Amino acid sequence: MVLLEVDNIRAGYGDGPDILKGLSMEIEQGKTYCIIGPNGAGKSTLLRAICGLLHPREGNVTYKGEILNKLRTDEILRRGISFVPQDRCLFPDMTVKENLRMGGYILRDRKELEDRIEEVLVMFPFLEERGSQQAKTLSGGQQQMLAIGRALVLRPEVIMLDEPSLGLAPKIAQYIFDVIAQLKDAGMTIILVEQNARKGLECADWGCVLDLGINRFEGPANTILNDPRIQELYLGRQKQDRQEKTA
Amino acid sequence: MNQFVQVLLFGLTLGGVYALMASGLTLVFGVMRIVNLAHAIFMILAAYIAYFAFTIYNIDPIISIFITMPVMFFVGIAVYWLFFARIKGTARSGELTVLLTFALALMAEGLLGYFFSNIYRSANPPYATQALHFGPYILSAGQFYATLMSIGLIVLLWAFLKYSRTGYAIRATMQNISAAQVVGVNVERMSMVAFGIGMALAGASGSMMSFLFTFYPGKHWEWIAILLALIVLGGMGSLGGALAGAFILAISSALVGHYYGFTWSPITFFLALFIVLLVRPQGLFGKKMEA
Repeated sequence: MVLLEVDNIRAGYGDGPDILKGLSMEIEQGKTYCIIGPNGAGKSTLLRAICGLLHPREGNVTYKGEILNKLRTDEILRRGISFVPQDRCLFPDMTVKENLRMGGYILRDRKELEDRIEEVLVMFPFLEERGSQQAKTLSGGQQQMLAIGRALVLRPEVIMLDEPSLGLAPKIAQYIFDVIAQLKDAGMTIILVEQNARKGLECADWGCVLDLGINRFEGPANTILNDPRIQELYLGRQKQDRQEKTA
Repeated sequence: MNQFVQVLLFGLTLGGVYALMASGLTLVFGVMRIVNLAHAIFMILAAYIAYFAFTIYNIDPIISIFITMPVMFFVGIAVYWLFFARIKGTARSGELTVLLTFALALMAEGLLGYFFSNIYRSANPPYATQALHFGPYILSAGQFYATLMSIGLIVLLWAFLKYSRTGYAIRATMQNISAAQVVGVNVERMSMVAFGIGMALAGASGSMMSFLFTFYPGKHWEWIAILLALIVLGGMGSLGGALAGAFILAISSALVGHYYGFTWSPITFFLALFIVLLVRPQGLFGKKMEA
């Protein structure tokens, strides 16, 4: 069943040019999608457009038959789509507990909120231990866990993660991928943007390759992983970059 | 020694009022990244409200915060909606807000001068001239009550920020605006509310000012200079910093005034400003700003 549909959207920042140039994509329930592509392809912009941080200039984002284009982020969160942005994006001077509480900011029922925070703490016990510590005192990996935990407070149906392994040591990055696998087993629909294409595709069902604001090609994750065009897109670009730099 | 303690007490009872004045300014900066140069003229506007409430209706200036705070809150919302909301997100909105608050200050000063003239005024409730005796020490009753009230309001503000849902959202916006958006905080609305609260605090400050100091419209330039020195010392956007800055500078200026003469006491603020900017530009409690 198609849960979320991105139909031919164009989007960009301020008065700037379109970053997304007519991008389309279908997200099915319970599947994990990995979006890869070179820098500037529009991966983060796509996630921001889905969760209402950026409104598409053209085209539609449809979730369960409802058009999301004009909705605010809090309205989209309420419908079950959560977003974990790049660079952790925490509240540095708030405690771990307060950060989790902010994750449930749109919930008005305090009891409900505390119950859900409890659930998240069961999943990440170390957050419980550090509950009264300021978020800025956590290590990079712990901060990423907290950012994911904060998004889970709303029990989303769809969770979007923007480069969760960025800047983490391989061992800690692996832990993050294990958590993603756990969410997948729990039946969550996951959209993952990942710089580490191999790792990302390995834990996904479906891969999408974005380039210059469009969905260049997509397919089952293991097919994408071995697709020669990937090599070309990434390695070819790198070669070109290097040539430009030396020129 | 006695004299030193006496001067210290004088500084302390002034510090609370300075802290109240600075708290609104630092809150607005923390949430909106706006240095509101019109903060002090709005304090003067509130002082006029308190002054006339006292002289015409005999309402106690300290009690008048129940008028000045809500009135200034809504003035703040209106100002935000009329001016700030419009330039938000435009190119160079950072520079524009500085010019905007400067222009607002000039316009408000002109209007107040037009309506109320430039006569020096001061409300004169009985406690304004009374003294309280604590053993060998004497305190001005007016300053003492005003500082108690100011500290009470600051504690309320702190509790509001710490425990209420809106307070959480305001703090979240201060700490990381994009993270606040991601969890569904309506950042635009929080800016408006914070600006309203900042103005309400200016309102309460005006009530205190109405009987502690003489005021006239042009006086606000002196005040804004002092307040900027306070919040720069404490660290812009930090409430604790504003409190610390207010007490440190109120006490230092009282000591300077006592030992070197009162003509020198205003210079304390500017000297402190220079030193802080040279040695620790982010202030005592502030964070380093990203460019």
